[in-house]
Amino acid sequence: MLEFFYNTLSPWQWGLLALVPPAILALYFLKLKRQPLEVPSTYLWKRSIEDMHVNSLWQRLRQNLLLFLQLLLVALAMLALLRPGWESSKLDGQRFIFLVDNSESMSSTDIDGAKNRLEEAKKLVGGLIDQMDSGMTAMLVSFADTPQVVQEFTNNRRLLRERLETIEPTVRGTDLKGALELADGLANPSRMPIQEGDKEIDVVEAQPATVYIFSDGRFENVKGFSLGNLKPYYIPLGSLEAKNLAITAFTTRRGDAHPERRQAFVQVANFTEAAHKATVELQLDGSFLDAKEVDVPANESAGVVFALADAPPGKLMAKLKYELDTPTKHDVLEQDDIGYAALNDQKPGRVLVVTPGNVALEVALATERAHKLGNIEFQKPDVLTGDTYKRDAESGAYSLIVYDQCAPASAPRSNTLYIGRVPPGRAWRGGDKADAKEDSKSKSEVGKAAADEALPKTSGPQIVDWDRSHPILASVELGNVEIADSIVLQPPPGATVLIDSTAGPIAAVAPRDSYQDAVLGFEIFGQGVDGARTANTNWPRMLSFPTFCLNTLEYLAGGTEDSQLASTRPGQPVELRTTGKVSELTVVDPSKKEHAVRRTAQDVFQFQNTSEVGVYDVKRGDQVVERFAVNLFDRQESDVRVRPTQGGEASTIQPADIKIGNIEVQATLGQTPSRFEAWKIVLGCALFVLILEWYIYNRRVYL
Amino acid sequence: MAQLERLELVTRKVFRGRMKGERRSKRKGQSVEFADFRSYVPGDDLRSLDWNLYARLDKLIIKLFLEEEDLHFFTLIDSSLSMGFGTPTKLEYAKQLAAALGFVGLIRTDRVRIETLGQLSNQHGPVLRGRKSVWRMLEYLNSIEAGETTSLATGVKNFCLRNAGKGIVVLISDLMDKAGYESALRFLVSQRVDVYVIQVLSQEEIDPDVKGDLKLVDVEDQDIAEITVSAPLLARYKSTLNAFVGGAQEFCNRRGMNYLLANNQTPVKDLIGSYLRRRGLVR
Repeated sequence: MLEFFYNTLSPWQWGLLALVPPAILALYFLKLKRQPLEVPSTYLWKRSIEDMHVNSLWQRLRQNLLLFLQLLLVALAMLALLRPGWESSKLDGQRFIFLVDNSESMSSTDIDGAKNRLEEAKKLVGGLIDQMDSGMTAMLVSFADTPQVVQEFTNNRRLLRERLETIEPTVRGTDLKGALELADGLANPSRMPIQEGDKEIDVVEAQPATVYIFSDGRFENVKGFSLGNLKPYYIPLGSLEAKNLAITAFTTRRGDAHPERRQAFVQVANFTEAAHKATVELQLDGSFLDAKEVDVPANESAGVVFALADAPPGKLMAKLKYELDTPTKHDVLEQDDIGYAALNDQKPGRVLVVTPGNVALEVALATERAHKLGNIEFQKPDVLTGDTYKRDAESGAYSLIVYDQCAPASAPRSNTLYIGRVPPGRAWRGGDKADAKEDSKSKSEVGKAAADEALPKTSGPQIVDWDRSHPILASVELGNVEIADSIVLQPPPGATVLIDSTAGPIAAVAPRDSYQDAVLGFEIFGQGVDGARTANTNWPRMLSFPTFCLNTLEYLAGGTEDSQLASTRPGQPVELRTTGKVSELTVVDPSKKEHAVRRTAQDVFQFQNTSEVGVYDVKRGDQVVERFAVNLFDRQESDVRVRPTQGGEASTIQPADIKIGNIEVQATLGQTPSRFEAWKIVLGCALFVLILEWYIYNRRVYL
Repeated sequence: MAQLERLELVTRKVFRGRMKGERRSKRKGQSVEFADFRSYVPGDDLRSLDWNLYARLDKLIIKLFLEEEDLHFFTLIDSSLSMGFGTPTKLEYAKQLAAALGFVGLIRTDRVRIETLGQLSNQHGPVLRGRKSVWRMLEYLNSIEAGETTSLATGVKNFCLRNAGKGIVVLISDLMDKAGYESALRFLVSQRVDVYVIQVLSQEEIDPDVKGDLKLVDVEDQDIAEITVSAPLLARYKSTLNAFVGGAQEFCNRRGMNYLLANNQTPVKDLIGSYLRRRGLVR
């Protein structure tokens, strides 16, 4: 019964209202005051009234009709005040988990009546919370790229509402799977109680739970997840025709022809159904640098290239300016109209070449161009055991280390090129098959060499093919290169084979953490059995050899300063590299707050607080040594249009369902359980009765 | 006034008057025109004996002559309280009507007498004759005020007792007597006078403009009628009024009386000029 009626008045107000019907009755039963009027004769009037009294029953009814109508009016008003209503769709279940998406796309302002999609979601969740009765419990989880428990299971509606208000929009991407796994862990208690930060979340007994997902669908279908005890409802937010233009990439790189001149590259994506013109404005440290116009076709991207010439180091900001035909002239998401990039000192990277002696290499790297790309040092292999090397390698002081005819005990923090050797570790040695002992630092070189003996070798491999599109082999012709001996490489997963031979790959490049390892399986110069130096290949005599060296230098050493830290996503940790013995660095975030960063156990500086987009300064003491930028640049988030159903007719385009595991969750458009308020209907009836009563009253008098 | 001068009061019956007026009267009197013979009865005027006939027939016979007579014109005005309503008041209207008709009569040297219902039986209204009496008539009319409480029947009865003679009687009243108008009119019929009943009603009585809940007070007897005005009530009132008026008309027609309903909005001259002329009261 309580569900049907909502009490909106306090008891004393009800008391007052209850006095109204008796008052009306009293007024009717009191003698009606009549106005006296003198007439020449009441003779005819009396005769008329007598005739009328024949229909006295009708007369009494007419008089009472007004009374009845007025009482009815008051009754309807009271009924309306009771706010009768019923749930148009029931809140399903006893336990609820509300997943609220607060990624960047939820800041879109394409909702009428709400500030943005997140506010609308909060409003809908609030409505659902109102529906809860005392036996139900609910939990609040907000998710962007990581889920966060806003409020644990509780049946305290006021608390839920308070906590709901604390959900803020972020500039992160969307990962629904993590949120679902969290929800699942709490609903299916076959798992252990989970640790969320410092708190342990209590797990309730095995009961099904209903999950309400409030999102705009800007994520991929969730794979590899089964719902189990969870019953999902998906409430899509946002419009199918939301218009958004965004910057989806912003990098700087060295120009091809003139490496000392840099270029900025901005990619603009158009997530609307019509082509648009936009202007990209480039600012350096807040002052205008350059602007270019770009025409972006519908649903496509276009790029703009700016020549930076001799721009000094600083913070680059790319701003997108355009005019849409929306009422606000802006797109619905403004956060993605700005991109940040860092312009750092263009110092050439440090390159270390560890070689017992390699004339060809020395000559190839002695050119002016090579020196522009990096400061090249030549060292003998015995430096590998020294402390200086170890420290520099560990701290990432070098951009590139070339190991010729030698290999270190452990991989350094830099890009590497191995000539005739394979990087340490199991990755290049067939993975699991290799010995764990190989990773040990204390292993001597001799032991290493012995291990290397175990690698498959080949004699006289014929080069069959090479990857011409790879930057390292750009303009490199290997058709007439002969090789005597080579290791047949077993590149780790993710590697790109550079040179393929009849025996297998003999040159490859593979990523390792944030670095790259390029490996040539064959030596340039080797040591013969007798210890004399022999040529393993005729490549140095080819024109392609210096080209290869320069390409390698450029790819692995040049431009790393800029492109490696090009853009980090919010929330991702950033590794800062610096030379020398510095114990502490200061990072200034875009809101000018300073964070102190210390070397971690692994002897690097790692910075975690990258939740804000913008350019961060890295200071050593008072001097800015480096900058890096944090951007979201997520196409999924920037395309804020709610994903429509595929196929179907144009007239029935609706938000798409989302797929979780094998289950399709239908987008429940506007079917969120809400209370159907009947008081409006009741009030309308009351108004009608009022008009009817007015009409009858007047009919008595005037006609 | 000029119009009135041209008119002449007409009566269907030839009546005798006491003076020798301009009319032919059936009364056999001493005029020149021979009318009829009658046997002598002791007490008759010896001068009217016809000696020629006695010589021939040896019988005493009276010669009867037609005598010219003047018209007795009576106007009986109801000046009860109910006549004081309306704009112009019904009494005012009645007075105007009486003045007009009286004027016509005086011009024609008819004998005009105007009385009100409430007049005491031993009181007579002034007898007016001739043009010079016009001002006296008007003066008398002016002095009439509404306020008499005599009922219609009583007033008419007294009038008939006072004026035994014959002539034309015009009764101007609203006939709104709770006791009914029938007995009053019967008195008049028995008088064998030419009766004209002019019922004067005000516009407010014919088409009342009332609304709301009212307590109607009768001005004459303070009787109270509580009504709540509604469209059906008004319709019923009008039909009651129509029935009343129709009933009065029929009553009069049956007894040879002339009936006329007058609205106090109709100008008096229209009434006289057209309507009464049609009816034959004036010529």
